[in-house]
Amino acid sequence: MKSASSISLNRRTLLTGAASAALLPVIGMPKASFAQENVVKIGFLAPLTGPVAAWGKPGLDGCKIWADWMNEAGGIEIGGKPYKVELASYDDEDDAGKARTGATQLIRENEVKFIMMLGGNSWPGVEEIAARQNMLVSTLLPSDLTPDTTTLIAPCEVHPIYNVTGVDWLAANRPELKTAVVCAQDDALGKPSVATYLAAFEAAGIQMASPPLFFDPATTDFAPVMTQLLANKPDILCLDTCYADYVQPLCEQAFQQGYKGQIISCTLDFYQRIVERTSKEFMEGVIFQFPDFDDKALNDPRINFKKPNEFFAEYVKRYGATEWSAVSWEYSSILDLWADAAQRAGSIEPADVLVAMKDDGKGKHAFGDARWWGKELFGIDNALVGDWPVVVIRDGKATIAEFRSIPDWWDKNGELLVKHMTDLGQMWNQR
Amino acid sequence: MPEKTTMGGAGLIGILILAVVLIAVPHLVSFSQQELLVLLTINVLVVVSYRLQTLTGEWSLAHVVMMGAGAYGSALFAKSFGFPVPLAMIAGAITAGLIAAALSFPLFRMKGFYFLIGSFAAGEILRLIWKRFTDPFGGPKGIQRIPGFPEIDLGFIHIDFYDPANYYYLVLVVVLVSLWVLYRVEKSRIGLTFNAIHWQDKLSESVGVDAFRYRMLAFVIASFFAGLAGALYAHYLSTVNPNQFDVNTMVYVLIWTIVGGTSRWYGPILGVVALTIVDEVILRSIGVDQVRPLLYGLILILAILFLPNGLESVVIKAKDALLNRGRAGVPDGSAALRK
Repeated sequence: MKSASSISLNRRTLLTGAASAALLPVIGMPKASFAQENVVKIGFLAPLTGPVAAWGKPGLDGCKIWADWMNEAGGIEIGGKPYKVELASYDDEDDAGKARTGATQLIRENEVKFIMMLGGNSWPGVEEIAARQNMLVSTLLPSDLTPDTTTLIAPCEVHPIYNVTGVDWLAANRPELKTAVVCAQDDALGKPSVATYLAAFEAAGIQMASPPLFFDPATTDFAPVMTQLLANKPDILCLDTCYADYVQPLCEQAFQQGYKGQIISCTLDFYQRIVERTSKEFMEGVIFQFPDFDDKALNDPRINFKKPNEFFAEYVKRYGATEWSAVSWEYSSILDLWADAAQRAGSIEPADVLVAMKDDGKGKHAFGDARWWGKELFGIDNALVGDWPVVVIRDGKATIAEFRSIPDWWDKNGELLVKHMTDLGQMWNQR
Repeated sequence: MPEKTTMGGAGLIGILILAVVLIAVPHLVSFSQQELLVLLTINVLVVVSYRLQTLTGEWSLAHVVMMGAGAYGSALFAKSFGFPVPLAMIAGAITAGLIAAALSFPLFRMKGFYFLIGSFAAGEILRLIWKRFTDPFGGPKGIQRIPGFPEIDLGFIHIDFYDPANYYYLVLVVVLVSLWVLYRVEKSRIGLTFNAIHWQDKLSESVGVDAFRYRMLAFVIASFFAGLAGALYAHYLSTVNPNQFDVNTMVYVLIWTIVGGTSRWYGPILGVVALTIVDEVILRSIGVDQVRPLLYGLILILAILFLPNGLESVVIKAKDALLNRGRAGVPDGSAALRK
């Protein structure tokens, strides 16, 4: 039997060893040196852990592929010099305080030239530091835009405005559907999306069977939510921009409660798992807005995203097919846009890149040429808007049904959107 | 063993060293760690004020919501009513204290686990009110563009409190004054009564102590200082939203307090400082963002297994060991006389 002192010594040795190992990176581990090369650092500031991680981590994974491909091809040629791309990431946990710390680290310590964010809850923590440092920042949530956010752009996802394309397509292809219900988590992501769906349904002549149902983000039991939604026997069940953790149980509840109608949702992340837990028949025809990038429709010449099918194959190879989500390609497409603008500017400086990016008021969006827009809704033309795909589940697989124009819808129905955004307090001057 | 309340020379030297460290630390860390330092110092006030409430034996789950009440109050006083920010901060803290006073009437009809659950429910009601009423609370998105602490420009010196190092010194002064007040409360007759209610509430009442009023007093004082911490937080980040004060954040406050220990006033401070450094500095620097919660959980389990009485027990043992060594080194007077 070992003596107490020897046990204590072993324990101490173990703890000392663990502490030393933990401290090693702080004290300093050797790092790969790129001193002889031109390096441009890009910041990634998004939730990598916590409930919103599904809209951060898959995006970082996609960016790693983008950077690897770019570096293997010799880097980005800017101002006659090849630049190697380095990603610097920080997990902001969807929290303003952590985002501020992360932005400080990325800008002042990592010396990044561009920061990509999810936005939303975290953006207010970064707003002032970005303005003071004149840092170019992108968000996936244009509801962060205001006339004061001159260095903030929404160059990929004009959330939630693109949701109108799904409703517009549904009304054109299934005119027999006349009533809808919508639910969302009661937060900054759910509300503007509900306003958008209400405007889109109204524009399409679809009546709301009941007022929008806002549930608390802490909700874990979705049975009563679904029971309440289905009580008025709607033709269309709209799941708005619910987080991935909610969409799955909501679909399961709709399945278990015998719903047979049409489902429409903004996202359907990890939809294969939902198909497995319900059935192919139940999920047939579900509409959402985010395609798998192995879709042949993305090989159309107007698509600006580079090698979408190869990108998807590489993503699946590295991380698995079930890890593909709405944001897997989005941050990479923003990098495409940034690289193109930096090349045209001949500079990596944020101010120069922003000027080049917004040159002529047009830009090369992932899904085709688009225009910088948003003054009426966000008070500033810093959102890049063009066509957006309508995606339909067919035989258990996400398939692009059609690309529809957001600007065309806006030109016809813009007033409706402004009305519903105002009613829910989502206009920039109400925030 | 009762905590010693008088201070010797070694204690004074210790305080002097600590003061030097606290003043020098922003200049020894990186820019992002300066940001972290501000939030950490604010969190020190949150956990120490929380400990004051636990002295009466009642563990609340509404403490972070009280912090939120101070943050929302201060933000609204400054943004909507045009109060100067320093005044708005005090008004925010008073608001949190008043809300705690109002909540005391239903809550202190309960004790133990019932109080714990009741405080959670009361906190959630308050948080959902902020979420429900867009006017004036901003709804789920909260209040943004909250004015920051005003710059000081005396011609020869210009202090911009957006700079984390400057804001840290402001927070440090506020927190140190608050800790001193909380320490004095604990060591006063009021603090002794809190302890009496904790361990022998019936006996205390039998000798004329109004347990309800003392529990209420502890709740109000703790909430006032939590509210002050919230006000410091709101004017630093320029934003508040209901999610910042949810039960997840409360769980962190509980973890910091429990891992630090609650038998000494400095226990929760040790907890919040050690765990913040582990989570935000060491684990982040390893570059394993996605498994950080897993490693953090592992460290918590190890801490509870090896230090069941909290990190403060290490300090207590170290202090005892030093005292014993000191005694062993001093020649016994009687032995000298015998020679």
